[in-house]
Amino acid sequence: MGRQLISACREAWLALRMRRRRVLLSAVGIALAAAMLSAAIVIAEGLGRGFTRAARTAQMGDLIVRFDPVPAREASQRIRALPDVAGFALRMEIRNVPISYAGHETTGGVGEILSPRARQGYAVVAGHNLGRSQRGVLIEPGLASAWHIHLGARISLGVAGTQRVVGLVEGPDDVGFPLGAARFYIRRSTLEVPGRRYPSPPVDFAEVWLRNPRYVNEVLVQARSESFGLRHLQFATRGGVQVLVNQAAGIVIDLLVALSVIALATAAVLLAASARAEVQRRMRAIGISRAVGATRGHVAAVQALETTIVTVPAATIGVLAGLLATYSPDDRLLALLNEPGPGAGLAQPLLLGWLASIALPVAGAAWPAWSAAGRAVIALLRGADVGSGGRRRRRSRRRSRRSRGGGLAGLGARLVAARRARLLATVTMLASSTAFVLLMLALAGALSSLETDPQELGKHYQITASAPPTAAARIARAPGVLAAEPRYEVHAVDEYALGELVDVIAYPLDHTLFEAPPLASGGRLHGNHEAEVGVGLANALGLAPRSELLLELPSGKQLRLRVSGTVSSLEDEGLVAYVPASALLTADPSVPSQVAVLLRPGANQSTVFGELARMGADPQTTEGATARGAPLVAVLKTILRAIAIVDGLVCIYALVQACALTMQERRRTVAVLRACGGGGSAIRRLLLGTVLALVLPAAIAGIALERFLFGPALAHLAAGYASLDLTPTLTEVVAILAGLAVAGGASILWVSRAATRESVVAGLAG
Amino acid sequence: MKGVLALDAQGLVKTVGNGRAARRVLDGADLRVHSDEVVAVLGRSGSGKSTLLHLLGGLDAPDDGQITVAGERLTGRSSRALSRIRLRHIGFVFQQFQLIDELSGLENVLVPTRLPGAPSGGARRAAKLIDELGLTRVAGHRPHELSGGEQQRFAIARALVNGPELILADEPTGSLDQGNGAIVLELLANLRGRAVVLVTHEPGAAAIADRVLSLDSGLLGERFDEQRRRAWGDS
Repeated sequence: MGRQLISACREAWLALRMRRRRVLLSAVGIALAAAMLSAAIVIAEGLGRGFTRAARTAQMGDLIVRFDPVPAREASQRIRALPDVAGFALRMEIRNVPISYAGHETTGGVGEILSPRARQGYAVVAGHNLGRSQRGVLIEPGLASAWHIHLGARISLGVAGTQRVVGLVEGPDDVGFPLGAARFYIRRSTLEVPGRRYPSPPVDFAEVWLRNPRYVNEVLVQARSESFGLRHLQFATRGGVQVLVNQAAGIVIDLLVALSVIALATAAVLLAASARAEVQRRMRAIGISRAVGATRGHVAAVQALETTIVTVPAATIGVLAGLLATYSPDDRLLALLNEPGPGAGLAQPLLLGWLASIALPVAGAAWPAWSAAGRAVIALLRGADVGSGGRRRRRSRRRSRRSRGGGLAGLGARLVAARRARLLATVTMLASSTAFVLLMLALAGALSSLETDPQELGKHYQITASAPPTAAARIARAPGVLAAEPRYEVHAVDEYALGELVDVIAYPLDHTLFEAPPLASGGRLHGNHEAEVGVGLANALGLAPRSELLLELPSGKQLRLRVSGTVSSLEDEGLVAYVPASALLTADPSVPSQVAVLLRPGANQSTVFGELARMGADPQTTEGATARGAPLVAVLKTILRAIAIVDGLVCIYALVQACALTMQERRRTVAVLRACGGGGSAIRRLLLGTVLALVLPAAIAGIALERFLFGPALAHLAAGYASLDLTPTLTEVVAILAGLAVAGGASILWVSRAATRESVVAGLAG
Repeated sequence: MKGVLALDAQGLVKTVGNGRAARRVLDGADLRVHSDEVVAVLGRSGSGKSTLLHLLGGLDAPDDGQITVAGERLTGRSSRALSRIRLRHIGFVFQQFQLIDELSGLENVLVPTRLPGAPSGGARRAAKLIDELGLTRVAGHRPHELSGGEQQRFAIARALVNGPELILADEPTGSLDQGNGAIVLELLANLRGRAVVLVTHEPGAAAIADRVLSLDSGLLGERFDEQRRRAWGDS
């Protein structure tokens, strides 16, 4: 047995050495498919299970409850009255805390003042947790990374003074800094004056653990009825948060996994076809082996060994390359989302992916040898066809009367079309890759626009100035300024759904001059009693044109308006309402304002900036929707770029391999052309037809796929509350077509060079 | 009467195989063929007949010696130049016909006319040849729908379509029955204005030749007499 294996290994090694270029091409294909699969596994495992991992590590509560501050004793009583409660932790959240460290500062910090409970719903990822009355502060890795804060550093925390950082913690119920606020955790004792007694400090946040999380809905119903005395209650369940997170990541993961499976399947089809062509070429040698006593299993084993020798290193390199390309950005993305990386949890799925990357090509290669070796030895010695020639023959007979043209390119197309399954697999691979890269481009474009272009939010003004409303008229007269008006903005709470925060925006005159998100239904507001609401708010509150909108302002005053229409606004996830300034100011004259400045066409923004600064108004450029999320956008772009590069390489490989296979199988045809006087240009024309037969249908199908399936699906999931346009632009389509053309050109050059290097005599011999 | 010199090969040397398996199959072979002349080269299997033909067609390069076809030197030329010479001056007929399965008989004949640099008027010449060879009825058929004789006639038409001065035929009747073989040989014998070099191991096939050479020990020598040639012509 051992001797047989050694003999088979030697035979396989010799066979591989004889066709190094083809072996190299196969290895590249396997490596690329494995890289694609491994990238998909890293991202699927990282994003798809990130929340579950974070929730498990942090021992996240089954129920999160926010309410207006009440004494801790009162909140504890309410929670203890609930059924099935295994434990709970109370906190007080203080907002707008100024935080500063080494030149960095923010005034929007959020402090979590911890009560002395064992479980807190966060995971300590570095340093240690705070003791029951220990001084010091815990911060999130996002803040530590953005401001380069190390353990032991001392940061300034407003009322909490300067505290030493004792640990880094991740709380899965919110995103990290700078996507979210800079959060820190301190013990209540840090704020208390030593020696003074605090009988029942205020709390406004509770995290509740249940004995049986399956009964969370029943507990929720009970909690609502037991909430007497608690105002502005907001509930979030662990399952609800998970559904939201998974929904967002789901389509990206689905697309990646689907694409990598298609890539692997295509690689397997192409490798099987390559093996089939090789088996066909060696048919007589197989016949001789069988004639001298080699078993069918031995023939198949040699082929399987050959492929294994190539596949194992190629798949290993591919898996490692995919891991390297995506692990780091995936980890950074998870850190921004306050979720831990998959770590060692990746090992098992990656091992399975590695095994699949080996098993599929080996099986695909061994099958033709097994099938061929099963034929009669005499037929093998005559060089029988390994494939189902009969079926092709019948098909071609039906069509043989048709007149066809097209010259050498037409012949090239017909040669590749003769292998329908392979043609279909390659076109499917190319089409899905085209659609995927287009989607990545459109997504990257949309992200960039959201980050930098206020127009995406329907904002037409370019500058906001910190100045009183009375300064608007003076600013409007400044050079380069077309119009300037006070812009009032305040966060209100809806009266019906208890807790939905609404961004209320008001202008004294027509707001559409300054910002006009597209109308989704109804009409623009007219008069003092109407409002336009964002689709996100309309969906949350069940609003439609002519519904009544009732808001409670921070001052406690109410604002009652009739909805005139809904607008597609990305701002604040569509939880926005445009109202008349007169109505808002009547309800609350102290609403804060800035001056929105609209520039004249062609005006120099920096000149206007200088002018406004001279007037004492602090000017700022208007931000896009994701301006605060710049790091997230950057990480997403890195991931998209890495995947698009691997995808593009898989495309090139598929094209090169399909062309190379066609040339390999039709080496006699190529040799005849060359014997008739065809040189390199004739072979290139032949290959041009082959490439066009693959690329043209793939490009059309790919563009259609993105335009009508991938784009709308992702746009819908990405922002269900607004219209996010992921239709590819003409530039993107031209870019992808140019990419395909370059890939096709590279394939033609590579394969024609190899084809013309072969001896014509060897080609004629088959 | 001899026409112009179509092929001139002098002192051809060719070794095949490497190391201990190396074998010198041509060892200073000379061959001159004029237009309107049919030369048959006979020899045992493995004697180097096909190798000689490949050298004469520029498909392979000799280790030593000179080859000139229609006034164009073959030896020492680039692959591109050799392709151009083959396109204009040489036509090949193979034992296995080597027709392209995906193309009809007519399309196979048209292949050399569609190559870059081919002389114009290829379609007209192809139609004329197909008519002359009696293939009009089956011109639209694919190779697998044709008999062996029809396939070889299409292959001959393909070899002739660009009007080459030299036709190189490698065992042209090797895959045919006697009847079809005779038809093909007659066609080759009656090609006017062209030089034909025919390599075969069948003495019967050599009977159509003006000269019969034998390849033995790497050298070409006269073998068959005029009487035998006439005997074939009388039959």
